[in-house]
Amino acid sequence: MTDLWPRLARLLAQAERPARYINHEWGATAPVPGTSYREPATPDLGLGASITASGMSAPVPGVYRFCMVYPDTYELGQPNQALRILCKAVNAQEGMSAERAFLPAPDFCDLMRQEGLPLFSLEGCAPLAQFDALGITLSHELVASNILEVLDLAGIPLHAADRDDSHPLVIGGGPVAYNPEPFHLFFDAFSLGEGEESVPELLHEHRRCKQAGMGRADTLRRLALVPGTYVPSLYVGLGQEEAQARGTWLVPAPRQDALSREAPRQDAPCQEAPRQDTLSRDTLSRDTVPVFRRRIFTGFSQSPAWEPCVVPFIETVHDRLNVEVLRGCTRGCRFCQAGMIYRPVRERPAEQIVSAVLEGLEATGYDEVSLTSLSTTDHSQIAAILTRLNQACEGKGIRISIPSQRLDAFGVSMAGLVAGRKKGGLTFAPEAGTQRLRDVINKNVTEDDLFNAIDAAFAAGWRHCKLYFMLGLPTETDDDVKGIASLAQRAYDRAREAVPPGMRGSIKMSVSCALFVPKPHTPFQWDGQIPPDEAMRRVNLLRSSVKYRAITVNWHDPATSLIEAALSRGGRECAAWIEGAWRRGARFDAWSECFNAQTWEDAAVTLGFTPAEAASRSWDTAFIPPWSHIDCGVETGFLRRERQRAALGQTTPDCSFGSCEACGLCPRYQVEPMTQEPRKEASHE
Amino acid sequence: MSEAQAFRLRVTFRKSGRLALLSHLEVARALERTVRRAGLPFAVSQGFSPHMKIAFGAALPVGVGGTQECFDLYLTRYIAPEKAREALEAASVADLMPSSCEYLGNKAPAPSVAYPVSTYLVELAFLPKKGEPGGTEDKEPGRAEGLNKPCVSAELLVPPETVLVKRKNGEKELASADFLVGPLEGEGNMLRFSLRAHASGSLRVDAFVAALLAAHPDLEASAITRIAQRPV
Ligand code: SF4
Repeated sequence: MTDLWPRLARLLAQAERPARYINHEWGATAPVPGTSYREPATPDLGLGASITASGMSAPVPGVYRFCMVYPDTYELGQPNQALRILCKAVNAQEGMSAERAFLPAPDFCDLMRQEGLPLFSLEGCAPLAQFDALGITLSHELVASNILEVLDLAGIPLHAADRDDSHPLVIGGGPVAYNPEPFHLFFDAFSLGEGEESVPELLHEHRRCKQAGMGRADTLRRLALVPGTYVPSLYVGLGQEEAQARGTWLVPAPRQDALSREAPRQDAPCQEAPRQDTLSRDTLSRDTVPVFRRRIFTGFSQSPAWEPCVVPFIETVHDRLNVEVLRGCTRGCRFCQAGMIYRPVRERPAEQIVSAVLEGLEATGYDEVSLTSLSTTDHSQIAAILTRLNQACEGKGIRISIPSQRLDAFGVSMAGLVAGRKKGGLTFAPEAGTQRLRDVINKNVTEDDLFNAIDAAFAAGWRHCKLYFMLGLPTETDDDVKGIASLAQRAYDRAREAVPPGMRGSIKMSVSCALFVPKPHTPFQWDGQIPPDEAMRRVNLLRSSVKYRAITVNWHDPATSLIEAALSRGGRECAAWIEGAWRRGARFDAWSECFNAQTWEDAAVTLGFTPAEAASRSWDTAFIPPWSHIDCGVETGFLRRERQRAALGQTTPDCSFGSCEACGLCPRYQVEPMTQEPRKEASHE
Repeated sequence: MSEAQAFRLRVTFRKSGRLALLSHLEVARALERTVRRAGLPFAVSQGFSPHMKIAFGAALPVGVGGTQECFDLYLTRYIAPEKAREALEAASVADLMPSSCEYLGNKAPAPSVAYPVSTYLVELAFLPKKGEPGGTEDKEPGRAEGLNKPCVSAELLVPPETVLVKRKNGEKELASADFLVGPLEGEGNMLRFSLRAHASGSLRVDAFVAALLAAHPDLEASAITRIAQRPV
């Protein structure tokens, strides 16, 4: 592999923050398996050692090279959990190595283009195009244009169809891959679900194909047999009408390659990848489109909670030790995709979490740890975990943080356990302003829950509180919008009462509003988004309804939310739109200073595509959505039932606290919720 | 723990190779984490948000390395300097490596002001000409062999009279003579000089080198390293 470092190094004087690109952090692995950066690679590192000195060990021939790519800058990508987990999983494979790559900041992308420097990996500073495979993490829809920026900067053909045997295999994964169709042109394969096991399996199979000298087309057909893998080029998309009539948006593509004429070999060397019978048969059968099941890492609870990680030099988001204490959340909010695609709930034992935190702090030197998950305060042993960590970290200047999602006094007392004397801001997410709408969205919290939490928090010393809401939720009326103002004002009143008179001036409360974006695999997947004008009308209604000057109101730009919504529920037609927008200069759309709605609008006009319509269309629940071939575990029947219950204002309890609500996942995937102790609602304690 | 009771350990370390590209703040954060990894019994300040008692030396600009950098760490109990150095070394990345530790009295000046005079070594290299494959994978700029190395000429030993520096509140002209201590010296492609910092401010070495090379468009500084720091 080529070492681009000497060329990169001379450009770094012009970089805004060179430390983004230099690698060699504590915990970074060398590109050669079994070596590390601890040994000085250049003998004369001291006197006058030039920055351009390579510091690379020579690559070992025969090593399969994989690169995890986060399509945004280092600051946002390095803390990404998937990046860390998958690099580690692949590095643990015999004869494989994993490296990291990020998109440089916009200015530096331009400079690299000008200098003809291709996108590189951090560890080996090798061109991305020279890797065997790339894994691109898709964490939200707005990374769409950055995917093309990555491929283009790497000199890899944007379209999978234009790649040949010399190009890396480009794999996509992450939440956005649950509706892969808008991105189907750009990826060779998608890996669905948790990748701890499936990504190594996929790469092993790819390596076998390469070793056997198999061509790209045949290779893709082999890879399609690895459970959890979806190869979009094996299928042709249908129009909406035909899709509704057939019950699927895809039909198998006509076969041109050799493999298609033979029956699939059942003795194929695929030990690591046990096949699901149905999948291997269906994938290759002539006229059915299989359902692609996501992968679940069933060993999660038993797997170590501490895994060596990279300690960045520059300040990143979430720059701290992150210990994942549980996976999955079944509270069942009807707008929430994470709550559907990461089921079932799996807790790690308290014992293991505590020792992982202590070990991790010692090994990384971090002074802050966050116990991460979708619902940390729901862990059945959370009180014991926090108490023990507090004792163990006493006097060491260590901060423990927990994402505080739980809107009750228990949540507050847990937050209080770790906050010590320094109480920053607390965040609560009632999501909707009235009980009616909270029931519709299955946010099982009451006004009293919020007020009790506020009482507890402000009495315990907090002075700042942020309330998160969503505007444009299905069935929302002006009364619900005004309800947000009313709720926030009454919460403010409660806060005042809980605080000594002399300190009331320091109370700060803010209301943050996101616009509802319908997400695939949720009960609201059939519901449209309100148009931007209507969104602004409701924002203004809310602003004028908030009478207290001490309450600030923030909202998201509806133009970005519209693109998110159009992409999140879009089909194959979106690929050309994404490409058109990128060709017009769209990139870093998640950065408000870079987002340019015009690029997306112009691209849409050229294609005769109307994003506003795509974002706002509502479907009957009988409608087959473009992602119907992707199975996240939760059955469509359950989503329909939940949508109906929403319309009736009926709530559904959390299965991790009580009995199964029959979402369909556990029996079909042979998994079950795994809590360390029975979970108890705080109000029942 | 009050300062009087704490053991003040001065650690000398190296900022080298590509880590010369770290900013002062990045170095400080990395060193704090190194101390924690080393498991040394560091003192923690009392107060609203407790933090490690550590004091850093004079800042180096991004892109400038150093072989004799230092920081002071306050320990709650005595650790033999050699043991402390070993523990730090085991917890350090190769290019941010401690070389020695020694205890200081609490009256000694803080490391950021103790050594106003800094001696720098600058490695010069030819800039690759336009259209030349300079700096490709097979040729490392600044490490070029034999004839490819420039030689410090007499002309290069004449400091620029003034250096234009950018400050937050606009540009400012600084007189080199106010900061230079002694003459510029050259040997081969290496240039050596000393600059002194004043309480009112200092002349950034990278700005000085840029001004020095302004008349030599074929040259670049492939490495700038602070090799010594001393009191006036
Ligand atoms: S199948 Fe039942 S227990 Fe399993 S996640 Fe779904 S609702 Fe919960």
